Amino acid sequence: MLTAAQFSRLFPFHVILDSQMRIVSVGGVLARICPTAVPGVAFGECFSLVRIGVASGHPFDREYILSQQNTLFVFRTSASQVMLRFQALVLDSPERFAFVGSPWVRKPNELAALGLVMSDFALHDSTVDLLQLIQTATVSVRDAKDLAARLELQRNDLEELIASANVPILGVDRQGFITEWNRASERLFGVARDAALGRTLESQTAGLRPRERVAALVHESLDGRSAGEIECSLIAAAGRLSQIRMSGSPRHGVDGEVVGALLICHDITALAEYRKELEERVAARTTELSKANADLSRAMSAKDDFLSAMSHELRTPLNAVLGLSESLLEGVYGPLTDRQTKSLGTIAESGHHLLTLINDLLDIAKLGAGKMELSLGDVSVSDLCATSVRLVIQQALAKHISVRVISDEAVDSLVTDARRLKQVLVNLLSNAVKFTNNGGSVVLEVCGRSDDGLVAFTVHDTGIGISAEDLKRLFVPFTQIDSRLSRQYSGTGLGLTLVRRLSLLLGGDVSVMSEPGVGSRFTVTVPWVTPSNAAESRSNTASVTAGGESGSVGSSAGPLILVVDDDIPTQETVSDYLISNGYTVVAASNGLEGVRSAKLREPRLILMDTQMPGMNGLDATRELRAIRAFDATPIVALTSGAMAGDRERCLEAGANAYFSKPVHLKELLSTIDSLLKAPSARREATP
Amino acid sequence: MYGMVNKAIEDLVTIKFGEDKWKEIKRRSGVNIDVFISNDAYDDSITYGLVGAASEVLGLTPPQILFAFGEFWVLHTARLGYGDLLSAAGRDLPEFLDYLPSFHIRVALIFPHLKPPRFETSDRGENHLTMHYFSHRPGLSEFVKGLFSGIGKMYETPLKVTQTKSKDAGDDHDEYLLQWGAAAAA
Repeated sequence: MLTAAQFSRLFPFHVILDSQMRIVSVGGVLARICPTAVPGVAFGECFSLVRIGVASGHPFDREYILSQQNTLFVFRTSASQVMLRFQALVLDSPERFAFVGSPWVRKPNELAALGLVMSDFALHDSTVDLLQLIQTATVSVRDAKDLAARLELQRNDLEELIASANVPILGVDRQGFITEWNRASERLFGVARDAALGRTLESQTAGLRPRERVAALVHESLDGRSAGEIECSLIAAAGRLSQIRMSGSPRHGVDGEVVGALLICHDITALAEYRKELEERVAARTTELSKANADLSRAMSAKDDFLSAMSHELRTPLNAVLGLSESLLEGVYGPLTDRQTKSLGTIAESGHHLLTLINDLLDIAKLGAGKMELSLGDVSVSDLCATSVRLVIQQALAKHISVRVISDEAVDSLVTDARRLKQVLVNLLSNAVKFTNNGGSVVLEVCGRSDDGLVAFTVHDTGIGISAEDLKRLFVPFTQIDSRLSRQYSGTGLGLTLVRRLSLLLGGDVSVMSEPGVGSRFTVTVPWVTPSNAAESRSNTASVTAGGESGSVGSSAGPLILVVDDDIPTQETVSDYLISNGYTVVAASNGLEGVRSAKLREPRLILMDTQMPGMNGLDATRELRAIRAFDATPIVALTSGAMAGDRERCLEAGANAYFSKPVHLKELLSTIDSLLKAPSARREATP
Repeated sequence: MYGMVNKAIEDLVTIKFGEDKWKEIKRRSGVNIDVFISNDAYDDSITYGLVGAASEVLGLTPPQILFAFGEFWVLHTARLGYGDLLSAAGRDLPEFLDYLPSFHIRVALIFPHLKPPRFETSDRGENHLTMHYFSHRPGLSEFVKGLFSGIGKMYETPLKVTQTKSKDAGDDHDEYLLQWGAAAAA
């Protein structure tokens, strides 16, 4: 049994009545909002029944109330008009019963109007929960309205953006009916928005071609794929042809499903025209360039031909000059006076200088044309240095200049092009001797550098040195740094250019340090590749250098040699020299004559000029090699050119050795001697 | 966290510091939500991210920011939507504080997935009580202090808030001694 206090705490809005419907007690909170409800006062004086669910006209008395204990009663306080919802409850005796319930409030602010707070309600009373729910719902509705307003704003912005966009934007639904058609679309297709909306895309964009491409774009977009772009043509109503680039993308609904497609068009007519014009210009330019390339190629070919011809034209007379000088100096044509000997020496020296000049020019030309090929082989570094020094030692001795080599034990041999590296070193040594005053010194120092994998060949001298300003122009072709020097020191100005280019070709470089009056240090580097580590990659292109002991058979009835050359001075010079060295010589002036003569005389060896009128030397060689009797006869090719490929062409035709004019007669003699002594196997020899 | 908490951060920043600062805070925190729905649940990381970015942009420490948010939430944001309900929670400050635990239990019933904090009171005296605060969210004690401060201002009653236990310091929950009236002035 609850005490009165407990009952009041559980039901703060209760009223207990006696059998006469007089108030026995009132809950604390109800007493506050309805102060007239005090014990002894008739219930009807304080509360009036709101007839909701109660039969009209029925007497509202104790019997009726007790019969309706499952009915909700609604009362209004007489003083403050507060509505209360009550449940009737019979208490411990039939004479006493109670109304328990709470005020009916629909909004939190009504509580304040009643002077109530939430703690006035019993904790079990759901009125407070209802108020909190209502408040929460109110806030949610407010937020939803805010969102709707923002969305409306954004939708308006978007619609305006689409409508005013400079690019045509079209929307279609899943059935292909147009849902969006902005002003740019009106202009492009010549159809008003109102006329287009709700119609099929196909009917309003009939001028688009090809239709299939447009349909595929729409189809892919409706499939939910970002469909990319297509290009199509549009024939407008006025007949104007436009080029259109169209992109498509799906439009999604609230639940993420695809509800349509959005198509954006770009009029690329001007761009397409410009592109076409550009393509035409590129094509025209390409044609021009092709023609220019062909012209250039012809010019390059002409240049090569010119160089070859010039080489021939320059070397042929020089061959005669040097050959005859050599023959005369050796007394082939009889004894000479001292004065004649001296003059001939000057002629020979000038000829050799001229030959050097021609060779340098040809080398520069070949390097420039990328036609110089390396012939790699195993090279003894000490031999290379000794040979290089030997070539300048006479020049050095004449000036009392000491020349020595500092070697590096670690650098024994290298895989490189011996001829070209020697050319570089001789150039540097020759310069060093040339620009060093009497009594000075020149050193060639070799140093293997494991840190960068290079071998450095340094030539240092105690010469006149080079200023910092002049160093900048040092490797420029045809430039001798001081014109006064060119008068004092002869030179072409090509030497250092050749050194630089050859060094690069060999895989290294050249550098210089110098101080005027003190001397210069030129350092050439080449890759430190030894025969052992190059074994796998080394090519089989090593040339065999002609040389060895010179010698002659020394008898006029000696072995018969056929000299085939259309250039009579050369023919005579070579013949005279060979005869003076004991050989028997027979001559011919062209290839056909040479072949006939060979068949008739069966010489032991044939010297064959390559460039001759009628049958040239290469064809004559091939014809002879086709004859069994000449299968093993040594043939030495003599060429007037010195272009890349000459050697290969000669060897391919069947020659055993190859000499470039002007021929050094001693070397030729040595080669002839070797070939005649050697077994019949062919071997290649070049000077 | 309630959307209304994030909304409070937005309102505080835009009203006190301007729209541009709010955009900068959103950019820095990587939050890309245009509108916070008051009664929706948002990941706590969003709130923490906004507080961190606000601290950087406004040059205030996170505790300062959290206290200001708590106070602002009571006095501004909550009053906009829940003002009548707040007013109905008590005729005066003590009554409000007494009712606070039940209030949050009812909130928990309405939003069971929001995991609202739980309050308990003890040691109720004439001018003081001890408020126990249980929350799985770390680092919000300054926010709670700001809430109490805002409630004191709402009832125009001096309120002294003294934290007596701290979860961040290793206690099992936060505990505050709340003193009002003359006790607050003492």
